[in-house]
Amino acid sequence: MLKTLLYVNEDLASSIALRYTAYLNKFVPISLFVTHVEEPGEKEQVGTGWVRRTWEDGVASSGKRLIDTMLRTENIDCPVAGQSKVFVGDREEKVLYELRSGKYKLFIEGYLNTSNPDQFYEVITSPLYDNAPCPVLIAKNLSLSKKCALLCADSVDPKTLVQESMTILGDSTFAFDIVYYKFQENQRLETLDAKEGGHQLEETLSLLSQVGKKVDNIVVLSGTPEQVGDHLREYALVASTMPSRKSMRMYVLAHSLSSVLLVR
Amino acid sequence: MKILVALDAKDYSKKIVKDVARLAENTLADIIFLGVQEKATEPEKTLVNALLKHQNDVYSYFSPDDLPYAELPSDQWQERAQGDWSISSKGMKEFTLRIRTGSVAKQAVTVAEEIDCDLIILGCSGKFGCEWSGEMNVPLRIAEDAPCSVLVIKQVRSTNQIVSILDQTVITQESLEMINQLVTLHDAGLKIVGVQEKKAAKNDEIEQRMVGLLKYYNDREVGAWVKLVDSDIVKEYVTDSSREAIVALWMGGKQSLIKKLFSQSMVDKLLETTESALLILR
Repeated sequence: MLKTLLYVNEDLASSIALRYTAYLNKFVPISLFVTHVEEPGEKEQVGTGWVRRTWEDGVASSGKRLIDTMLRTENIDCPVAGQSKVFVGDREEKVLYELRSGKYKLFIEGYLNTSNPDQFYEVITSPLYDNAPCPVLIAKNLSLSKKCALLCADSVDPKTLVQESMTILGDSTFAFDIVYYKFQENQRLETLDAKEGGHQLEETLSLLSQVGKKVDNIVVLSGTPEQVGDHLREYALVASTMPSRKSMRMYVLAHSLSSVLLVR
Repeated sequence: MKILVALDAKDYSKKIVKDVARLAENTLADIIFLGVQEKATEPEKTLVNALLKHQNDVYSYFSPDDLPYAELPSDQWQERAQGDWSISSKGMKEFTLRIRTGSVAKQAVTVAEEIDCDLIILGCSGKFGCEWSGEMNVPLRIAEDAPCSVLVIKQVRSTNQIVSILDQTVITQESLEMINQLVTLHDAGLKIVGVQEKKAAKNDEIEQRMVGLLKYYNDREVGAWVKLVDSDIVKEYVTDSSREAIVALWMGGKQSLIKKLFSQSMVDKLLETTESALLILR
């Protein structure tokens, strides 16, 4: 069972993330823990000592009610492993602390897909993602697919991609495709010969086979990030390494309609 | 459900009949085939024959046991009013052929209002934009003026994506069902695009509706995805999408942002750029 921390807020992205996590559980058995951080504004914060602790308990209780309501509303088909973890304070700091102390294997949170890739870049370069001790799954959409894509490109280290993504997906029942991306300003998305993927593609394939994973399809796509992001909708999940800069692959991940798993 | 299909003897009309038959099969709809001719005292033979041929094509799509329509009485056209003839049969569902005189756009809208239909379907030739019998503005005028949803099919081709652009107005159950039908018809996925206005208070409402729709279709095992697009790039986004996907625009109420954004010229442009079909939802 994959020990997973899901961040839930009272928003639509979380509603998608909750449902997506339940879907993911059908393929990757997960031990699910849910967390939420109440971030009171400066003016809302009160006192010290006992007064502050009492105030924090009150705020945390309201956060707990929020999670319970979300879980009840979504009525997901995935058991929650333990008590929900509600904190008061800085969201990123508290989530990072929980990820580290709880030794989670995966962190999931929802993201409402937008056409603005900068917004996505801001999320993946935030201190929380930068310092996360485990892979991060950004749930963007629901899915009916049973396939997972490993997204390769020039900037992807095949060893990191395969080793780290297989710690999450190695025991899953997903079918795997390798998608190699080449940027090209085409009118339409083009599928190139597998040879165009070069040694990185070969290495990814070989590493996957070493861990006993069979690849159904190898696809080399040439087009704009928007076109490829759109094409990726046929997958339940797109796994890739965490982009460190605004590369074309980052734009593909930003435009991906499917949820993305980022490893490092 | 009532479907009005505007038809003539041209190729673009012949091509859409199979889609009409599939839609009729899926929805068990009452069907009205409308032909429009120049002023005359009786229905023109060419048009009568074309409508009968299209009707025959729809009937032969069904196996005899599944056909929900009865055979038409042969050659018993009734003159309902001056320049308005019809012939119909009533089986489990009603099938009507109707011929009127006048302009196609005006007659299609008038009949749609009169029979309170749910959907108008028409084809158009893609040679020079989207034209009907040499006239460029027929599909546009029907799409603009119809009281119900309108599906303009330019090319019958397999498309694997329906891109539905979400409005702020109330979404009717009928329009959701219409999208369902289109998805089923093409075995396609559905992209739900919400248009975000900068600094608009209503963005939350749009997001809520988008996610509601995502869940609605996901529960029905329809592959659906959501995406938010800023209002300043939505025209470009939709025009690009229309090249490969069927675009469905909700152009409902008076407050419709889409209606404001997609002026007559924009719908015209979409009809011109689309390589498959355009669905205007109301």
